[in-house]
Amino acid sequence: MKQVIVHPERCVGCMQCMAACATAHSRSGKLFTATLEKPVPRPRIHVGAGRYGEGFPNRCRHCDPAPCMLACLPGAISRLPETSTVHIDPDLCINCASCAMTCPFGVIRYHEDADAPPDKVVAVKCDNCHDRQLEGKLPACVEVCKSGALTFEEPDAAMKRKTDAVACSMSQETAVTVLSPGFTLLNTIKQAQTAMAARK
Amino acid sequence: MNREYEKRTITEDGQLMLKKAEQDQIVTVWDRYQEQQPQCGYCEMGLSCRICNMGPCRIDPFGEGPQQGVCGADADIIVARNLGRMIASGAASHSDHGRDLVEVLAKVAEGNAPGYVITDVEKLNRVAAEYGVAVEGKSPTEVAGALADAMFEDFGSRKAALTMTARAPEKRREIWKKLNIMPRGIDRETAEMMHRTHMGVDNGWQSLLLQALRNALSDGWGGSLIATEVSDILFGTPQPRPNTVNVGVIKEDQVNILVHGHNPVVSEMILRACQSPELQRLAEEKGAKGINLAGLCCTGNELLMRHGVPMAGNHLMTELVIATGAVEMILADYQCIMPSLGTVAACYHTKMVSTSDKARFPGMEHREFHPDNAEILAKDLVREAVENFGKRGRVYIPVESVPAMGGFSVEAILGALGGSVDPLLDAIKAGKIRGAAGIVGCNNPRIKHDYGHVTLTRRLIENDILVVDTGCAAVASAKAGFKVAEAARWAGPGLREVCEALQIPPVLHMGSCVDNVRILVLAGALADALGTDISDLPIAGAAPEWYSEKAVAIGAYFVASGVYTVLGPMPPITGSMNVVNLLTRGLEDVVGATFAVEPDPEKAAILMRNHIEQKREALGLSAAKPLRGPSAG
Repeated sequence: MKQVIVHPERCVGCMQCMAACATAHSRSGKLFTATLEKPVPRPRIHVGAGRYGEGFPNRCRHCDPAPCMLACLPGAISRLPETSTVHIDPDLCINCASCAMTCPFGVIRYHEDADAPPDKVVAVKCDNCHDRQLEGKLPACVEVCKSGALTFEEPDAAMKRKTDAVACSMSQETAVTVLSPGFTLLNTIKQAQTAMAARK
Repeated sequence: MNREYEKRTITEDGQLMLKKAEQDQIVTVWDRYQEQQPQCGYCEMGLSCRICNMGPCRIDPFGEGPQQGVCGADADIIVARNLGRMIASGAASHSDHGRDLVEVLAKVAEGNAPGYVITDVEKLNRVAAEYGVAVEGKSPTEVAGALADAMFEDFGSRKAALTMTARAPEKRREIWKKLNIMPRGIDRETAEMMHRTHMGVDNGWQSLLLQALRNALSDGWGGSLIATEVSDILFGTPQPRPNTVNVGVIKEDQVNILVHGHNPVVSEMILRACQSPELQRLAEEKGAKGINLAGLCCTGNELLMRHGVPMAGNHLMTELVIATGAVEMILADYQCIMPSLGTVAACYHTKMVSTSDKARFPGMEHREFHPDNAEILAKDLVREAVENFGKRGRVYIPVESVPAMGGFSVEAILGALGGSVDPLLDAIKAGKIRGAAGIVGCNNPRIKHDYGHVTLTRRLIENDILVVDTGCAAVASAKAGFKVAEAARWAGPGLREVCEALQIPPVLHMGSCVDNVRILVLAGALADALGTDISDLPIAGAAPEWYSEKAVAIGAYFVASGVYTVLGPMPPITGSMNVVNLLTRGLEDVVGATFAVEPDPEKAAILMRNHIEQKREALGLSAAKPLRGPSAG
């Protein structure tokens, strides 16, 4: 089954996945009108900043077994078999935060949501764009990511590619492959700046 | 001191004021910078394009996603267009500042600028002669009117070359002519840059960059140069005089007024109003010991250069000085004034006033200055500041100010040398002074505040390299104590000997950021005296903490004039290695100088020293072996 796969070395930190995610989970589905909705739709994917300000897109791994599902007292969290999605039912959620306490990745947020009953704060996290997937669409974050940091593919294929890449780097007489010289240069500068800030 | 404060700034007053700001729950530029992390990589690399409405577009730096915008522009074109537009904005900012001064000059000639006078008649006549304005038998106001008209012509479309490009060495002008980058009109080059970067015009990344250089030259040998020269004519050519710097210049027992921004047109009038006996009496009636005017950023540098007015701080200090609670009023004109200042001031009694018809800010009262009302409005505002004195809450001024020396215009330096550059050249030839470096530019929260400026300055003077500086860099090194004659003890033995003989500091404050042209003019004069080109001189430039578009224009006009220039922060160009390579290597064969990017000032110092020694060798002077350091680029 295809899944969203994160390639951290390609994240340029543009946060377009966040905007696309919030829009995909709005009522109108359009960025401009989505910003005017109440409740304002919020992203389920969050781009964090690493040690030298580099980006990382943090999203639900849809673990199996999922700690959040095991911790959920009202049984609001279940798995949707078609997409292997760990899903929170906003009608059943009691906003107790047990799921967030067990989540190792900190991807669960609490707020009002277009899918939840009005004025009810519920646990919200990535739903793998389950409905979009059933319509044959890509998850919204993958669709907008132009740097290849988020892909939607069979995990086996992605792992094979990574294995081959590592194998190639071990080959004799092979130069180290730099994905993007410019991006590497930018990150080198950022690392130097971070190191300087720590100097006495 | 808290490690977080030490990470943000090396300055003692900055660290203490950061603590105070945090106690007062003031959000600062550093907090907002953290909030912005991670910053968009497409934009950091120059790979996002918002120029037309088929877009916005971005290019995948990893080569798998889109490689062209909707129009078909590739990474090279998009990066070059974006860089060109940064330079256009920077050149426009300086040049519009210059135009405002020419307007005041014209109004003085018409008699419609009460309070403004022509202070340096000798310089007026000298510049007028360059413009072909007849001086004989004319009054200064007549000359001023004709000069203003001639200068307005430089902004237009009818010239083959800007008038003051004649100050550049012959060889340099030949290079510009050959490359077809001789700046023709100040506004013209900016307009053409904007035109060329419109969709479907210039899609040669090299030709775009050449126009960017021409646009930058229209600033350096045009707009900025006019700004400096007319400021000197109106308000006096700077001569060395003492001043004081850091937050300690704000006085607990006086009415404190700060001027912030760039243009001396407003701040000069405020200074005069502060000196009025009537308002000083009023201040005493209100329980203050006097009226204390101090500067922030470059309008502060303008006053410091000409009058020794104290300097409260540079770019990253502008929010923190308000947290002293001791500032009655800040008057802002334009450029580099953070829109956050009004919010900070709202926590204290500080009155914020915007003064320019083209610059407004949230939380500031708009009181527009024009040449005809400036004298009266300045007095009204100073009176309001004095009346605000009684509304102070608790005051926190944690440091004593540091003494410094400013006012090193080209005229002043020549004066100190006895009227010619020869003594300086002799010291360079003898190897006592290895060469000279200009350290200029801003602050940027990417680099620990003032760390880049101060570290680089220290390393260069240790290596017998004379440092001249301007803008926020000049404030940083003054605060670090480099701008007093006694600072010569930190210089290498040769530079120390020269400084002690002339009783000058090893770091010469040459003014505001438009005053970078003073450095250009001095370099031109040195090259002329040697009968060579600027690119042959043992000199280098650096902008260790730059942030603004103006700094990109400044860097570009220095490189296009033949000065090797090391940038601290990386400009948004890494999306195109072609552009990176052209700017850091290829330009050597085009204009005889390149950029380098090196955020670490220790390494930047090595790059600059090696460059200077290499140029010495080429001139047949004694040269040291290059130190091992990072390669350029």
